[in-house]
Amino acid sequence: MYRYLLPYFCLLLFACEREQAGPAIDPYTFVSPEHFPPVAYDFDRNPVTEDGFKLGKRLFEDSRLSRDGSVSCSSCHQQVTAFADPQHRLSVGVEDRVGVRNAPGLFNLAFRSEYMWDGGVVHLDFAGVPAIESEVELDNSLAVIVDRLRADATYPEAFRRAFGTDTVTSGLMLQALSQYQAMLMSDRSKYDDVITGRNGAAFSATEAQGEAIFVDRCAGCHAGPLQTDNSYRNNGLDERNVADFGRETITHNPADRGKFRVPSLRNIARTPPYMHDGRLASLDAVLEHYAEGIRHSPTLDPRLEEPIRLTEQERTALIAFLETLTDWEFLADPRF
Amino acid sequence: MNSSFPYLFIFLSLLLLTACDDDVITPATGDTGTVEIEFENVFGPQTNQRSFGLGDTTDTEFPYANALDQPYRVTYLKYYVSEIVLEGPNGERYEEPIDVTATSARGFHLVDATRPESMVFDLADVPSGTYNSMSFTLGVDSTHVLEGAAGGDLDPVDSGMFWSWNAGYVAFKFEGQSPDSPGGAHGNSLVPGTPNGMVFHLGGWKDIEGTVLRNNNQRVTIDFLDRATVNDNQSPTIHLEFDVNSIFDGPGGTIDFGQSNVNMHSPVDATPLIRNATAGFRYDHIHQ
Repeated sequence: MYRYLLPYFCLLLFACEREQAGPAIDPYTFVSPEHFPPVAYDFDRNPVTEDGFKLGKRLFEDSRLSRDGSVSCSSCHQQVTAFADPQHRLSVGVEDRVGVRNAPGLFNLAFRSEYMWDGGVVHLDFAGVPAIESEVELDNSLAVIVDRLRADATYPEAFRRAFGTDTVTSGLMLQALSQYQAMLMSDRSKYDDVITGRNGAAFSATEAQGEAIFVDRCAGCHAGPLQTDNSYRNNGLDERNVADFGRETITHNPADRGKFRVPSLRNIARTPPYMHDGRLASLDAVLEHYAEGIRHSPTLDPRLEEPIRLTEQERTALIAFLETLTDWEFLADPRF
Repeated sequence: MNSSFPYLFIFLSLLLLTACDDDVITPATGDTGTVEIEFENVFGPQTNQRSFGLGDTTDTEFPYANALDQPYRVTYLKYYVSEIVLEGPNGERYEEPIDVTATSARGFHLVDATRPESMVFDLADVPSGTYNSMSFTLGVDSTHVLEGAAGGDLDPVDSGMFWSWNAGYVAFKFEGQSPDSPGGAHGNSLVPGTPNGMVFHLGGWKDIEGTVLRNNNQRVTIDFLDRATVNDNQSPTIHLEFDVNSIFDGPGGTIDFGQSNVNMHSPVDATPLIRNATAGFRYDHIHQ
């Protein structure tokens, strides 16, 4: 007769379980690659959903976020170039106003805790706000955008599907943008395949030689699977560093003058021009800078006191390695 | 039939019914009450205080004067009160719950001189007892900046208290005019051409060595001269005052409008003013 109890025992077992996704991974679920460091973004506060992601993508591409409806986030951040600016040395905002910095690529953002070339933003949710408010970018305010979205024929319904409320607020808008941007994961390059042993991938002899040079001369700053140590450094672009104080803009500390975030080198072959102001047009020009172009100043990074001089053959090998960091699946992912 | 079967059946059914309950502690009636907190901005020391009101850049009067007898008027005044704690002589303790989401910010109160309704708010479910002190943070703690997008009183759209390029919340904003100020300051209520402007946007929520970044969020503790009795029948109002003039004279030093009329983006320079402001909060009375 105890068999009648069996269903109860079974029910008890499952009474507290949440619904689990099936074996197929939902393409709109954030998945942290095993070879990456711990995630910084708190997805418990803002779990990614398909509706939230799609709302975020729509906002990212909507030029009504700018004051005069002329530019969107995606004007300067396009997928084909790993969400960097495909054509401008410096970003171009409303009324063709020219910015002061080059729009960097956007990927693996959930693993960072500081954003912008100077690290002034400390949370992914707030990363879009300086661009929205900058007079040389979107030149708008959150308040105006929220009003526009509330008055729109379809946005409130999109917010309701994503967040369960059709009352558009700045917080929900920023969370939707974060869902989209956090999902911009670049972890499927040849480099990833090699270091994880996926797909039987292996570096060619040239790429392997390039990797050895990279580990020796570059990986001190462009460190780990994310290809950056997330520090701020002066890489010797200028003697006076007065055009842009960089990290000093945030800290007001002269010791930070001319220091900028060490960018990830993922997708680097796809994101010219290079440096915070886009002054170097090619990877060759970058290697030439590190060989012969270092300018000394009090805040120059000590690692660059000694120039990185490579033979032509070594440069070719290093660039071959850097090209293994291009994530073609990311660049062509139809979700983005 | 085994006689224990029905008991086991009932037991398992009960277990099933309660299996997913969170541990919600519902106090019995009489265990808690509501406390109303009221902030009032005033001018001057308690022994010689005047009522306070915001002015406008079109005004001709400068109704107030600082410790150096420099006249001024105030055109904008807002500050964050958060992480409120009430304590009593018998070990009573109440911490206002904090809960920040993209659409709400429980436990954060933006006191805005232009909105009387922002100056009065309730603390719910305060345990019964007597209370004789209250403390709060003047500003928004780093934990809550790092939680990301927020609503309620932390929504940047409505608050006017968020720094975007160097992200974080401003703790305290004062804007006004004084004939002794050289002007040039602009902010939420002043434009660059406004004569004699003064703008003090006091922020900073993290200390970073060797920088101007300081955690300026100060803890304010106010002892009550009376006691507030809380139970299900008694919902006292605790009336607190903020002496606006305190910003310019106090433990942080004396502010000369001729020398200092702008402080917007440098937390290290904001520290003296915010220390002064912290000392400007005081007890007034309790409506029992």
